[in-house]
Amino acid sequence: MGYSPLIDRLVESLRCLPGVGPKSAQRMAFHLLERNREGALALSDNLRQAVEGIGNCRSCRTLTEHDQCSLCASDRRDRTVLCVVETPADVLVLEKATGFRGLYFVLMGHLSPLDGIGPKELGMDLLLDRLDQGEIVEVILATNATVEGEATAHYISQAARSRGIRSTRIAHGVPLGGELEYIDGGTLSHAFADRRET
Amino acid sequence: MSGATNKANLQPAYVLHSRPYRDTSLLLEVLTPEFGRVGLIARGARGPKSKIRALLQPFRGLLVSWSGRGELYTLNNVEEVTPTRSLHGDGLASGFYLNELLMRLTERHDPHPRTFSGYVRAIEALAVGAAGPRALRLFEKYLLEDLGYGLLLDHDAVTLEAIEEDQLYCYEIERGPVAAQTCVGGVMMRGHSLISLHNDELEDPDSLQEAKRLMRSVLGWYLGARPLRSREMVYAVVDGGIGWSRDDEPR
Repeated sequence: MGYSPLIDRLVESLRCLPGVGPKSAQRMAFHLLERNREGALALSDNLRQAVEGIGNCRSCRTLTEHDQCSLCASDRRDRTVLCVVETPADVLVLEKATGFRGLYFVLMGHLSPLDGIGPKELGMDLLLDRLDQGEIVEVILATNATVEGEATAHYISQAARSRGIRSTRIAHGVPLGGELEYIDGGTLSHAFADRRET
Repeated sequence: MSGATNKANLQPAYVLHSRPYRDTSLLLEVLTPEFGRVGLIARGARGPKSKIRALLQPFRGLLVSWSGRGELYTLNNVEEVTPTRSLHGDGLASGFYLNELLMRLTERHDPHPRTFSGYVRAIEALAVGAAGPRALRLFEKYLLEDLGYGLLLDHDAVTLEAIEEDQLYCYEIERGPVAAQTCVGGVMMRGHSLISLHNDELEDPDSLQEAKRLMRSVLGWYLGARPLRSREMVYAVVDGGIGWSRDDEPR
């Protein structure tokens, strides 16, 4: 476009959002400038504060503006069970969907040797320290059902086992409301192999 | 070739690596027998309704169809050959090792049919947990052959005489085995191990161990200074110990 360098810059910055291409970025920019300048200011304030203020929890590595996140700091959680997940978003969905009362550990990714992501990059030292402290009796491995998530879970389960800590892996299987006919073979064979007594 | 449309129909393939591409797509590197390593874009594969995401995991035997021009093609269709057993634990680590070797040493569009069949056998062996090390060594041997770095295993590099079972040899990289009692800068091997590797046998533990040392040294030579990340991540479960060990290699 080029008639206003400021607008161009705004459009360009909005494109850093996921799913936003040049067209939607332009629509957003004009919307904010024409109709919602207040919202735009609030957005920019909050963005700046969030980006500058939010770091990682010292116990579980999830995103928080405090030294320790509210879950880790809470005295109403069961400190003997630790659920390991890949991302902060996973914590939110598990909190919503399950009645889990223990604590979390967020890896911020998974082991992926081909991408150069090893245990060090995932803060495994911190996790192993937690396991060494002796408070934890069970580790629940809720990493993704991908090859990398599986490798990550295996690594952690070995670490837990060598410390005499029970480790469990979340089940993979038929989704609720799912019809067998439409489920991929891999999932189905997993579900079949891990069937349980009723 | 870049101008013409490139098409393949139901080509056997294994995903070696995938990474996110744009918002909902995946950029895949797959290994095929006829076309070697190929870069494919799987459009919409990361979307919430994607039905192929589960299929596009590494270590699953697939049939893929693609079309397109240039360096990257578009994945049109993917099916699973037969439901494959998935890799677990240490098998996974070895699988990553194979994939990293292929990503590091092969070029796109360089066909390596023997490497492909070696890969399939290795993955199958790792999945059942039996004879994994042997399958890994044979895969490495085929890979080196396909890359044009094939090992000299059946005769002495200097005297050109056939390798003798009971003789000791020093395997010098890019040269071959030389009958010797001492070995500097090479890998010490028994004639028996060389012959066993040559005949794709490797049935006794000593031959396996020596073949592993040889392969590690030869592959290290061609890989250069940058270490294999998957090798750093091998699970050291041997002593009931834990952690990734830097010195250990996928079995």
